[in-house]
Amino acid sequence: MNQKHTLDYLLKKIIRSGIGKTRYIMAATGLTIAMLLILCAVQIQFDYYELLNGKNNRDSIANFLVVNKIINGNSRDNTISKESIEDLKKQPFIDEVGQLTSSRFKVSAQSPSDNFPFYTELFFESVPEQFLDVKSDKWKWETGSTDIPLIIPNQFLDMYNFGFAPSQGLPQLTQSLVMALPVVINVTFQGVPIRFIGHVVGFSDRISSVLVPDNFLKMANRQFSGSPESQPSRVVISTKDPGNPLLVKYLQDKGFTTDADKTRFSKYRKIVNTIVGASSATGVVMLLFALLVFSLFIQLTIASTSKEISLLITIGAAPRQLQAFLMKQFLPLNIIIILGSLVIVVLGQFFLESFLRNQNMFISQWLSPYTIATAFMILLVLWLVNYFTIKKYIGS
Amino acid sequence: MEIKLQGLIPIPLGGKLLTRTSDIWNTTVSFASQNWIKVLAPSGSGKTTLINTLYKLRHDYNGTVQLDNKDLKTINGDELATLRQQKVSIIFQDLRLFENLTARENIELKRVLQKPYYETTMIDEMANRLGITNILHQQAGICSYGEQQRIAIIRSLVQPFEWLLMDEPFSHLDNANRDKAVSLIQEECSKRKAGFILTDLDEDNLFDYNSTYRL
Repeated sequence: MNQKHTLDYLLKKIIRSGIGKTRYIMAATGLTIAMLLILCAVQIQFDYYELLNGKNNRDSIANFLVVNKIINGNSRDNTISKESIEDLKKQPFIDEVGQLTSSRFKVSAQSPSDNFPFYTELFFESVPEQFLDVKSDKWKWETGSTDIPLIIPNQFLDMYNFGFAPSQGLPQLTQSLVMALPVVINVTFQGVPIRFIGHVVGFSDRISSVLVPDNFLKMANRQFSGSPESQPSRVVISTKDPGNPLLVKYLQDKGFTTDADKTRFSKYRKIVNTIVGASSATGVVMLLFALLVFSLFIQLTIASTSKEISLLITIGAAPRQLQAFLMKQFLPLNIIIILGSLVIVVLGQFFLESFLRNQNMFISQWLSPYTIATAFMILLVLWLVNYFTIKKYIGS
Repeated sequence: MEIKLQGLIPIPLGGKLLTRTSDIWNTTVSFASQNWIKVLAPSGSGKTTLINTLYKLRHDYNGTVQLDNKDLKTINGDELATLRQQKVSIIFQDLRLFENLTARENIELKRVLQKPYYETTMIDEMANRLGITNILHQQAGICSYGEQQRIAIIRSLVQPFEWLLMDEPFSHLDNANRDKAVSLIQEECSKRKAGFILTDLDEDNLFDYNSTYRL
């Protein structure tokens, strides 16, 4: 053994015996628990955030809501004014507002074939394309064309297939069959029917209306309508979070109503928000508590060796020599504890992820960068506390 | 290295010392390097205080202590450590061993604290001369005072030094063992051309003292 090794061995023996095995283990356990508390607090906050705001946890359909005035029979005018639309656009929780334009002319649809006869009067509506949940190459209308693409609600087909068809002894239709069948559209203009051919190009879950391309409806309203432009009575809004309690309250206050299904979660969200808030507070308390344990740990270990340190100085050990040695004693332990805690939190996160995945909740399998950053920050804090505590004790 | 004391009075002893004369307290005295000095001191006259002051374990005094004209109070931290590793060695009256280290480890620690002056085999040689070879592996805490004192003596001799401070170094030894220790210390000091300051209660002729002071 060379001089350095012998000295390190002897110093280690002196310091260890000063601290005492039990106290050493207790302090290390305290440090580990504190470390776990902190890392869990940070990671859980991150997981909460991800659960509430993560892309995978939101239903893409739910991001669009069709909003209209509550019909209560008292008011004849249930249109939505320009001002109301502007106000809607200003709300922070609403990203975009799209107007549903409706047709202002008479229109009917009928079957082109006698094998499958039907006739119905109907109406058209249109919305800006970004609000549609159907993506199709055929969804376009060119000026002058008599072919009109149509999007009908999925519910229509369901109603036909499961209600109407069985009761009338008619065959049930698949989506592709419906899309293959052309429909004759008659627009009546000044008593004269004008003939178009309609093709269903898609089925919407979002908007329960017969939709035609925006530019076709604008043209048709201009050309075939006798009545002046009117305000829409329905709008589509897109929002990041249909469960946002603020959105629900806003709609209620303004006398609007929307798909209740999609906003129902708002109540639960309020509860969850409260819990998350409370847990952040708990997290902060845990953090403070853990830091307290840290500094106690270091002071305890160093204070319990103060007799030995003072004797070492007496017989001629250099403060710098001792300081370097003590840092070397505590730092690896700190690093091991921090890495160990990180590993435990990684495992915890891994199991939590698979547990939540079974319940259709999605969080990352891995630790958040914040958690890892916290671990390193604490290592730095520990290093500083170590450094200054040791310096203080050796200095005195 | 010359040690010079000027008007040195430990504050706790202050009143008592003004009523009597002393060769060391409250006067100017210097110890030239390589001198072997005996300080004769009845109990309570501040013998240990003097040794601790010279070793800079105490600062509660008036007057100055100078080592080669440098005020001892200005020597701190790592510089003080170097002084204790290279120039001044000590045998404490209360021995001050690490109880949890073995006898050998206590000595070894002092040997490796600086660039070793001796090989580790020297420990066995010295232990053999003082008759404590058989307890080298024992924890210092369970050794007898006589054994501990011999460990402390060897510990002080495995490092380089210009001055050896000894505070009643043979108080726990019988005459035979004392003589062995004296001869070892004599040899080691001569080898290093080092001086020493030895404090004791009574007069003796153990060493060829250059001078004797009464505290």
